[in-house]
Amino acid sequence: MKKSEKRLFTLSVAAALLFAMPTSASAMHIMEGYLPMGHAIAWGALCLPFLAAGFISIKKTVSQHRKTLLILAMAGAYAFVLSSLKLPSVTGSSSHPTGTGLGAILFGPAAMCVIGVIVLLFQALLLAHGGLTTLGANTFSMAIAGPFLSYGVYRLCRKYKVNKSVSVFLATALGDLFTYCITSVQLGIAHPSAEGGVTASIATFMGIFAVTQIPLAIVEGLLSVVVILAFESYASSELSELAYANY
Amino acid sequence: MILLDKLAYSSPIRQKSPAVKSLFSVGSLLLCVGFRQTNVCMLVFLFMMFCTLRFANVSAKKYFHLMLMPFVFLMLSSVAILFFVSSTPPELLSIPFFSRYIGISKASFSHWYQLMTVAFSSVACLYFLILTTPITDLLTVLRKLHCPRLFLELMLLIYRAIFVMLDIASAIQTAQNCRLGNRSFRSKLSCMGQMLSVMLVRSLKKSSILYDAMESRFYDGKIRVMEESYPATARDWILCGGWLIFCTILCLILS
Repeated sequence: MKKSEKRLFTLSVAAALLFAMPTSASAMHIMEGYLPMGHAIAWGALCLPFLAAGFISIKKTVSQHRKTLLILAMAGAYAFVLSSLKLPSVTGSSSHPTGTGLGAILFGPAAMCVIGVIVLLFQALLLAHGGLTTLGANTFSMAIAGPFLSYGVYRLCRKYKVNKSVSVFLATALGDLFTYCITSVQLGIAHPSAEGGVTASIATFMGIFAVTQIPLAIVEGLLSVVVILAFESYASSELSELAYANY
Repeated sequence: MILLDKLAYSSPIRQKSPAVKSLFSVGSLLLCVGFRQTNVCMLVFLFMMFCTLRFANVSAKKYFHLMLMPFVFLMLSSVAILFFVSSTPPELLSIPFFSRYIGISKASFSHWYQLMTVAFSSVACLYFLILTTPITDLLTVLRKLHCPRLFLELMLLIYRAIFVMLDIASAIQTAQNCRLGNRSFRSKLSCMGQMLSVMLVRSLKKSSILYDAMESRFYDGKIRVMEESYPATARDWILCGGWLIFCTILCLILS
């Protein structure tokens, strides 16, 4: 083989290794037992105020409109099914969307965090994605940080009269990326690298997860745009039942 | 995915008390994560594997496949924990990288080894719980632990709705495939988007039908379901308690 051929071969092997990885489990969920006990408890405690606020708001709404309970339940099931579907990808590897950005736009971030905990618990118990001890950390990154950012970005874009498709894309893609940044930070703090400490470790985790997460975020953003556009054209009567209708 | 749920329902120890099963697996899990003793974790891992293969309806091959599920996460994050860049060559493995070195040191290796044992033993504990106890039984346990009622009702409704929605999703996907959908990346994206939006519309309709059905059956804001009760025998409690105490003592001696 010539030198250029050799280089090409090495590159193709590297690409094959990169994309043939069986990404069947979402790389976003922190695995069971991966965080030390102290960290697991701390992240869980950090989620509590958000959960309590979401819970109280849901309770208030449900006592006034009982039907909301069923809509929330359907939203939860929808988020679960969304996250268990395989995302179309260019490379042939299969990965799952987080679906929390879309959920936050449709149902509002406060409801999304309560639904998110239940969905994450079911993901641990039915799919073995994530886990019981890491539930707090996963909740913080996927059901609180991501949705709130998505919601904020979406509101901001709408306020400045950005095109609807663009704002949905930006909100969901950035929410996805933010989730992955938080996950990297959580892992980095829990497992500081031997040299360079926490910051070096966070940087390494981010670099590694970027390989899978950046394409995923873009695909998820595109998908959410398609969903929102199709939803608006089919179902104007159902729209009024969602938080989405209010802005 | 829902395969795990089916396996839980067909487990030979499905009739045992869910409280004992939960205590057994969650207790062992907490001991593994709390003490992080590699030897105890190995013991827990082997014992959980034995119990799952003995008492759950899975073959060894299937179990092995299930254990590989978190493999990608493990592989990606291991790289970050094992390797690091330093100016002096690390002990175990060092690759020159410009003027510095990338490598594995003894400390990073032992940290990684500890993490692997803890992670795998806790996944084994989780699988024992998943493969022997259906969600409805776990809800009973949560109710006994005084989890808020609204939360439990949401969980119950979501659990039921998941299966309805998965049916809708798979029917739509089959229909799309019949009509030559999902051919290229572009068509996959549009098919999936359309499917998701139709699913959202259908699920909202379903929730409104379900509400009407509940109203006509005197729904007053409280969902009452019959619970199956599986009382625990004294022998189960003693065996479970004995195992947990044995592990705790072992952890305390070793640490």
